[in-house]
Amino acid sequence: MNKNKLTNLKEDLKKNQVEIMLYPSKCDGCESGEFMACVKACETHMREKYGSKYAGARINIKKKADKFFPIICHNCEEAPCVDACMPGARYKDMETGWTVTNYKKCIGCWMCVMSCPFGAIERVGKDHFAAKCDGCIDEDAPKCALACKKGALKRTGIKNYSYERRLMVAKKIYGPYIKSNIKG
Amino acid sequence: MKYVIIGNSYAGLSCADAIRRFDKTGEVTIISDENYRAYARPLISYYLEGKTTDETIWYKDDDYYEKNNFKLMPGKKVVSVDTASKKVITMDGTKLGYDKLFVGPGGTPFVPPTEGFNPESPMMGTFTRFDDAKKMERAAKAAKHKEAIVVGGGLIGLKASEGLRGLGLHVTIVELLPRVLGLALDEISGNMTAKRLNENGIDTATGETVTKINLDESGNPVSVILKSGKELVADIVVVGVGVRPNVGFLEGSGIKIDRGIIVDKTMMTSVKDVYAGGDAAVIYDVINKRPNIIAIVPLACEEGRVAGTNMAGVYREYPGGMGLNSVEIYGLPIVTIGLTNPADESQKVYIFQDGEKVYRKLVYDGEVLVGAILLGDIAGSGILSAIIRQGLKCFKYKDEFLNGNIYSFVIDNEFEIYNINEGYAIRGDFEDLPEFSRTNWR
Ligand SMILES: Cc1cc2nc3c(=O)[nH]c(=O)nc-3n(C[C@H](O)[C@H](O)[C@H](O)COP(=O)(O)OP(=O)(O)OC[C@H]3O[C@@H](n4cnc5c(N)ncnc54)[C@H](O)[C@@H]3O)c2cc1C
Ligand code: SF4
Repeated sequence: MNKNKLTNLKEDLKKNQVEIMLYPSKCDGCESGEFMACVKACETHMREKYGSKYAGARINIKKKADKFFPIICHNCEEAPCVDACMPGARYKDMETGWTVTNYKKCIGCWMCVMSCPFGAIERVGKDHFAAKCDGCIDEDAPKCALACKKGALKRTGIKNYSYERRLMVAKKIYGPYIKSNIKG
Repeated sequence: MKYVIIGNSYAGLSCADAIRRFDKTGEVTIISDENYRAYARPLISYYLEGKTTDETIWYKDDDYYEKNNFKLMPGKKVVSVDTASKKVITMDGTKLGYDKLFVGPGGTPFVPPTEGFNPESPMMGTFTRFDDAKKMERAAKAAKHKEAIVVGGGLIGLKASEGLRGLGLHVTIVELLPRVLGLALDEISGNMTAKRLNENGIDTATGETVTKINLDESGNPVSVILKSGKELVADIVVVGVGVRPNVGFLEGSGIKIDRGIIVDKTMMTSVKDVYAGGDAAVIYDVINKRPNIIAIVPLACEEGRVAGTNMAGVYREYPGGMGLNSVEIYGLPIVTIGLTNPADESQKVYIFQDGEKVYRKLVYDGEVLVGAILLGDIAGSGILSAIIRQGLKCFKYKDEFLNGNIYSFVIDNEFEIYNINEGYAIRGDFEDLPEFSRTNWR
């Protein structure tokens, strides 16, 4: 088999990784809407990482009619929450490019909650801090993406992505006349 | 290239970061008249309460200045700027030449004329600097009756009260307007806030002013006389009415000033190579559609960044900002965005209230949302900020917003946008594609 095959996910991830891809329409809230695998996975991981003080899931599934939508940090280039954060608890991690948080500094002023255009920051009133997805930067792979079995949150590489996109657009345009051989 | 930045705070540092993004070698000097490295100014009240400590109040990492190769000159007060020979002159006579100058001196506290007020007294003062907080910490220990008076029920006054309360004093806020946070909140929300304060040992005397402060022989306060004639015991008097642009030292520099520093779209002042931002600058207010001074942290950062980008030679425009703020008063989160008290009849107001717990108010101008107040439940308030700032039409979401389903807007619109082009990367790190490569934004 050709080693540089476009859809060789492992190679692709190693070379051109994209950690989280979001395909909102594939999210079905894990059917029942109660057991949401990504939320559970994040919650567990956060408890392991921070103990009880800064626990709680950083991803949230919002529902409207029959649509589900994963609410998660979109990692803005010039993040409004970083601008808004008065103590400087939120900052850009230079190495990874993620917008991350130093929870020890957070004093719960909710300036960031008020600034996030995706509504991805949650006020945790009880423990008095603002929770946001910090991208699992110290992990191999984000736990939510590993947990999602529906393909709404996915790990993928740039080549796979562009290949999928091409097929997707073709499908959209030619509709039922084209048969693609990609699964998922 | 020699860059000089006046102001070691939000606007100044955001400017320095932007310069460093585009100019890795330029010489950057940051001047401040305070003897500290950058600290979080709005946190001085949390410092009194003990929620922030001597370790966490610092805005940046310890090695921030060295790592970015910024030269910090603390404790140097700039007394004038000579724009003709491009020099900044400090109190001790140092002359510092610059190629590009950023002016971000923030605000100075405004003190309404009050008989007996003397900021030199160890028991009286204003509340905008770290030193002020340290002074109050000492004053609280010396207070005999544990009674404090705070003049001004705006954001700074409220925070000062919370801080003093945290030090164990009984506090009375004296506010001229009929409610606390009078400019941002309306009657209902103002009353809800006042109730929270009262329950926690902070009294509110609204519609009142302090006409006279009675002093003892050493010049410290013993009591205050209010407009209504009432006399209140006072060990400590703090004036936290608000701030005015700190622009006195720019006199004679030729920089155009009208209340604050006038800037163009690139944040440049009327003098070439001199830029400004933060609490001292007059920027375009996208809600009120006129130039305005908006003294909040997020805008100071944005303005500093635009100025810094232009100073480093990369053209960038600032579209303007809007006022918004967020505080928590004893467990009650309060968010105010944009225009909250419309004067114009054509602007319609919609209200939702759930007892003393939750309050929501929306202000619509036709189909466009122009302002909002959220009390108690602030989830998704950032979505409203984005909608209001962009002036999006969203009248059909009115009821959902009022009921707190703010996410419904995102769900609908993200689906609209992304269903055709489904699948988008939240984070990309494509080493062989330079335009996607890692950024070093702060
Ligand atoms: C108690 C309090 C609570 C606040 N709460 C909030 C809040 O909840 N949310 C919010 O958004 N905003 C809040 N603010 C406002 C916020 O602090 C300001 O908007 C912000 O600090 C503005 O930043 P700046 O960079 O423009 O100026 P500043 O932070 O005021 O900094 C000015 C800098 O310039 C330096 N400087 C000034 N004059 C000279 C001179 N002549 N020579 C040399 N250096 C000079 C100073 O040393 C300082 O480093 C609060 C302010 C206070 C005081
Ligand atoms: S709530 Fe915490 S993280 Fe958010 S802006 Fe305030 S201090 Fe920063």
